[in-house]
Amino acid sequence: MSQTQPYVIETHNLSKAYKNIRALNALDLKVRQNSIFGFLGPNGAGKTTTIKLMLGLTRPTAGTATIFGMDSVTHSVDIRSRIGYLPQEPHFYEYMTARQTLRFTAEFFFKGPKQAITERVDEMLELVDLQEKADRPIKTFSGGERQRLGIAQAQVNYPDLLILDEPAASLDPLGRRDVLEVMSKLRKYATIFYSTHILDDVQRVSDTVVILNKGGLVAEGPIEELLAGSEGVIYIIHLRGEVDAALEKVKTLAWVSGIKTSLHGEESIWQVSVTDPQAAETQLLKLLVNGPVVVSEFRRKQYELEDVFMQVIEGGQDVRK
Amino acid sequence: MSGNEVFELESGTGWSRGLSNMLSSGLARWFKTKTWWIQSLIWGGMVAIIVSTLVFSHREPAPLLDLLMVSFIFTGLFPAVGVIIIMQDAIVGEKREGTASWVLSKPLTRQAFVLSKVIANSVGILVNMIIVPCCLAFIIISIAHKTTLFSLGFFGAMGVIFISHFFFLSLTLMLGTFFNNRGPVIGIPLAILFLQQYMLGFLPNLRYVLPWNLVVPLGNTNPLVLSLIIGTPVQSDHLILLLVITLESILFLLIGLWRFNQEEF
Repeated sequence: MSQTQPYVIETHNLSKAYKNIRALNALDLKVRQNSIFGFLGPNGAGKTTTIKLMLGLTRPTAGTATIFGMDSVTHSVDIRSRIGYLPQEPHFYEYMTARQTLRFTAEFFFKGPKQAITERVDEMLELVDLQEKADRPIKTFSGGERQRLGIAQAQVNYPDLLILDEPAASLDPLGRRDVLEVMSKLRKYATIFYSTHILDDVQRVSDTVVILNKGGLVAEGPIEELLAGSEGVIYIIHLRGEVDAALEKVKTLAWVSGIKTSLHGEESIWQVSVTDPQAAETQLLKLLVNGPVVVSEFRRKQYELEDVFMQVIEGGQDVRK
Repeated sequence: MSGNEVFELESGTGWSRGLSNMLSSGLARWFKTKTWWIQSLIWGGMVAIIVSTLVFSHREPAPLLDLLMVSFIFTGLFPAVGVIIIMQDAIVGEKREGTASWVLSKPLTRQAFVLSKVIANSVGILVNMIIVPCCLAFIIISIAHKTTLFSLGFFGAMGVIFISHFFFLSLTLMLGTFFNNRGPVIGIPLAILFLQQYMLGFLPNLRYVLPWNLVVPLGNTNPLVLSLIIGTPVQSDHLILLLVITLESILFLLIGLWRFNQEEF
């Protein structure tokens, strides 16, 4: 991703308090154009509050949110004309059918032509596989069907920014997969900002991740960097043979900052922390295999997003890249 | 985003952004669902049955003035209960069900949201709860008394009944912007509707601020609607009352608009 791409969302010191409860505390965010931005956090972390502040549904107690360079309080309607939004629990007019709901949504953005609106509505119904239920009143829809309709209405206007609050909630695994596919396809045209509890989804599609906890930002960065871990770059090496001599040799390398060793049967397991991953990648294994040891495993330590999430939420660690 | 080039974009920037779409949807809710005939049936049916009973159950129909008075009570007073119930749903119902925050996430101003509720429901109430019942009642009375009541005064009377209902419409709407539960939003206007006769007994000056005498007699004073129908001169007190009720309604609307603008979703 180019560093020259403009920011679609920028928040500065964004804060919200409800009476004496601080829901969001001095949030600074920057979301680049055409990124898929995963917004994580436990319940009550301030995710939905942030989204509502961006949409102008609620006002900040301090700080600002700027979307497309416009202030979220003073230019709320202009901002919303370029956004598609899926609420956490989508609620629609129960007396309308799915088709009427999509047409009603589209007509907030488009005056006409009627035929083009009709075609766009049909396209959206097909996208979320609701064609057969298109003319049934929404009051007869299941939670999953409402969620699909929510996803369709969020995209009906070709938004520049798609804000999805828990998009995969109430969907079965196939529905979830479809939503992730749609998000990946849309990246070419739109920026996607979405909150979720499903860490696996975030890891699969996001390029940038933010983790909120108790209203504050606790981790932020490109997904690869977060997954690389907060302890720096570590290589895991399983080896046997004359490991002591090899260990002494490795310790002398300038870019090795620490080594933890443990034994597992006959195998010695090293966790080598390095300051120069490129040097480690090209030289470390070569150095070992040329010595009196047998290397059975050599890999860079990878974290699952869940590990990072648990670390920052439970451990109170601040991981900002 | 690419893809929307074929569309003619909505580009309004003022307070009315989204109004026409919300209004179409509000009117469709009245006239493209069962609502219009259910409301017409309830209020039109009720007044038609009452007036028909008074006309056809005796050898001679009830006197014209009595029939008119009964018609006004059943078109001007009781349908206000329906107005209150419909309007509490317009704001509180949408706040509670989450549909208000959904539509307000679209390019729709809060003023347009409130005004669409006011306009669509005013039209629905005027047609289904005033024009239909009044026409039915007046057709029956005209047949019974072999006279025509469809004059300018008839339309004036319907206008006055509308202003009386609009008072409760705007009051309920305003309360809906302040409260998040239905109790006070329904309870306060209903209390005013049914207790105004007693309140006027204690504080006669309230006759200038409560809509009672627009449609219902107050002591020996005929209601304004009757004066309009039978063509007697309109008293200045009635004109003051009409003006005050109109101003109060506008004030309720303005307060409602201001309060809804402060609402956090």
